[in-house]
Amino acid sequence: MVFTVPVKTRRAVLASAVGAGAGLVVSGCWGRGAPAPPKPNPLAPALAGALALVDRYQATVAAYPDLAERLQPLLADHQAHVDALRRAMGTPSPTASPSAGGSAAPGVADDPAAAVVALRAAEQAGQADASTACLAAAAEHAALLGSIAACRATHVEVLT
Amino acid sequence: MSKATDALSAALVAEHAAIYGYGVLGAHLSGAALAQAQQAEAAHRTRRDDLLVRLTTAGVRPPAAAVAYALPFPVTDAPSALRLAVRLEERTAAIWRVALGPTSGGDRKVALTALVDGALRAARWRRASGSQPGTVPLP
Repeated sequence: MVFTVPVKTRRAVLASAVGAGAGLVVSGCWGRGAPAPPKPNPLAPALAGALALVDRYQATVAAYPDLAERLQPLLADHQAHVDALRRAMGTPSPTASPSAGGSAAPGVADDPAAAVVALRAAEQAGQADASTACLAAAAEHAALLGSIAACRATHVEVLT
Repeated sequence: MSKATDALSAALVAEHAAIYGYGVLGAHLSGAALAQAQQAEAAHRTRRDDLLVRLTTAGVRPPAAAVAYALPFPVTDAPSALRLAVRLEERTAAIWRVALGPTSGGDRKVALTALVDGALRAARWRRASGSQPGTVPLP
């Protein structure tokens, strides 16, 4: 009798220690351990949006080379956004085209005027997205996202 | 004074200067460009009045306008007037851009709207000066 109580207690202690250890292992695997996916960068959606606009402009210029002179400066602005976002994210620029790993190339409208209208709509949506992101962003990202929204607003006007 | 009200005070100083600048450059413009300058000046006055209310409500004494402001270059004709208009909008937009970080909620929304409006006006003035399309990547 004298020994049973300590033995049971010791078992219980051991069991709970193993349980706790297992818990630590599990949380190690799924929490801070290497196999867990990294937390997405808060600027990742903005980068995806900027890349999608680059893709759309490139596809439009490829389909309608006559629009190149008009669209090239706007495309350059979007490429600058991609670069600025990557710098802010600490992500090196890939050597391949900026669309590598991005969304599928969007379809281009059947005539150049409709293609410009589609770009304008994409700029409007992009301005709204960047504005929403700016208003919700941490202090250190608000200025960049705000500038991107403002730039897209100027593009909407140019394409009108 | 918080960082947010500091930023809004800096924006008010910039708005005062922009209103002064439009008073100077408007005298050298006519027709559509003059109308554009008058609209821009009115927009800056509206922004200034909103800031006066915002800062006073926050318990901060708003910075007053100076009697005169040093211009970055002499304004003697329409081309230099257009150049000053571009400069005023770029400068004011840049100060609103800085205000985005320290502000939040309604104040950040005001700063964002002011940045977007300033970028639009700067691009219009660049186009009025003959530069197409007149956009910059990060206004």
